[in-house]
Amino acid sequence: MTAMQDMMKDPHVNLVLSLADDLLMLGHVQGDWTGLGPILEEDIASSSMSQDDLSHALMLYEHLGSRFGLDPDVVAYERGIGDYRCCDLVTVPDEFDWAVAFVRRWMLAHWATPLLDHLIRTGEDDLQERCRRLRAEQALHLMYLDDWMRRLGTGAVEARDRMQAAIERISPLAGMLVETPDGVATSEFDALRSDWIAGMEEVAAAAGLSLDIELPSPDTLGGRRGVHAEHFIQQHTEMNEVRCADPGASW
Amino acid sequence: MSGAANPVMNLDPAQEDPAKLAEFESRIAAGVLIEPGDWMPQAYRVGMLRMAEHHANSEIVGALPEGEWITRAPSLRRKLALTAKVQDEIGHGQMLYRVSQDLGKSREDMLRDLCTGKTKYHNCFNYPAPTWADIAMIQWLIDGAAIMNQKTLADGAYGPYVRTMHRINMEEAFHFKSGEDMVLSLMSGTRKQKAMAQEAFDRWWGPSIMFFGPHDKPGCEQMAPMRWRMKVETNDSLRRRFVNRFAPAATDLGLVIHVCEKDEQGLVTDKRVDELCVPDENGNWGVTDPNWDEFFRVIRGNGPCNAHRLALRRFSYEQGGWVRRAIAGGETILPPAA
Repeated sequence: MTAMQDMMKDPHVNLVLSLADDLLMLGHVQGDWTGLGPILEEDIASSSMSQDDLSHALMLYEHLGSRFGLDPDVVAYERGIGDYRCCDLVTVPDEFDWAVAFVRRWMLAHWATPLLDHLIRTGEDDLQERCRRLRAEQALHLMYLDDWMRRLGTGAVEARDRMQAAIERISPLAGMLVETPDGVATSEFDALRSDWIAGMEEVAAAAGLSLDIELPSPDTLGGRRGVHAEHFIQQHTEMNEVRCADPGASW
Repeated sequence: MSGAANPVMNLDPAQEDPAKLAEFESRIAAGVLIEPGDWMPQAYRVGMLRMAEHHANSEIVGALPEGEWITRAPSLRRKLALTAKVQDEIGHGQMLYRVSQDLGKSREDMLRDLCTGKTKYHNCFNYPAPTWADIAMIQWLIDGAAIMNQKTLADGAYGPYVRTMHRINMEEAFHFKSGEDMVLSLMSGTRKQKAMAQEAFDRWWGPSIMFFGPHDKPGCEQMAPMRWRMKVETNDSLRRRFVNRFAPAATDLGLVIHVCEKDEQGLVTDKRVDELCVPDENGNWGVTDPNWDEFFRVIRGNGPCNAHRLALRRFSYEQGGWVRRAIAGGETILPPAA
């Protein structure tokens, strides 16, 4: 059995991978915005958050890599599609609509912080240590995103309408963010799910926006259990374009 | 409204108050930095604005060719470094627009003029970057050329621009190191990687030589831009230093310096070894003069990527309008929540 197969057979890996893969793909899709944001200062802020997300993914891959003897880049880039644990919300194409990109990131940031708290409480020492560092930076993202959510929701009719439309467009995918990965007890996730929704509802209300998240039934299979939308497959192919041009080469 | 667009502006230094002009020039000669609140000839204000605005435009357009490769970067560390690099360019643009704003033109005016093609950006960003190796070459050659140029600009006379150059140059040095590392990885890699690097080098060597602009006019040292230390070194002197630095470095890495013919897409169709690119007895490297017809054709908007770059910049400007309107004004619904 290869080290990768060994890793994927470990049920405790799924939860860590779900967060790492979400952060990897969020950093990846948001990378498309670098240089194209609506205001120079926000472009810079968005890029900083993307870099944080990619760095956080790398730190989690390093943790798994050290446990299973794998190169973090190999874990990040070279798994089969069914071995990724990111959800479709994170990878949903934003079609260069800043509102969609913003809401996508905001929903994940509200999920990442309680999940990191959970990993800090339950993970092994090395993972706990890493998650503490991630938690501090993700909390900053959350503060920034909540502030902008309120600002855009209450600042002007046009902006409020765009934000509301973005919420409505991607909300149907949002519930799959909290799909329980294999190897995790459903009961463990119940409180996290409630915290996630309550946190978002509070900010949405202050922003004058309505939010209606419908949770899928537990037997709906999604990214946490390796079932991905076509757009993820395309993004994964794009991510690997250079690596595949000369497999095994060092870049 | 921007000072640059003022039709009654007096741009002839001879029409300025002679005493004030003499004091201004003596301060520059004494190495005193000119600050935004100081008296300055209109021609100086307009010239510095054009220079800083062009530089700012170049930073944010220059982010585009590299930005397109962030999603394809071949490792997490390269992805992080490239994202940070492109972010730096936007940050440089932001700083330079602020310098320009102090000289009398609003950011909104500058971004609009860029999108409508009224103002320009650096020519080299109108060339294509079809492979990952092009990103390595941009960071090595173009950032290398930019550092060489900007180090001299940091020795200029306009305080805000000089201070911004010092800050930008520190970051550009990281970009250059990153580019050098990428080129080294390719040139010490597989045969395929080396071929990819050579092809990218062929595409970027010509634009790098043209980077410093056309040959200088005779007596340029006595003309206002240099007399007022808006620039402190001639185009040809900078180009010579660039060739002396990069021609041997490229050769040492195993790259061959070619004179290339390109098609309308900026892709190489024919090439021959540049026989002039060898050192003379003083260690100065020669180089075949680039195709200046191509240079002016690209400046006039007919380069391989002018339309694409401008369209993307315009798209970004237009799609972000609602966010700017939400911040700057618009119909308010509620005061921001506490």
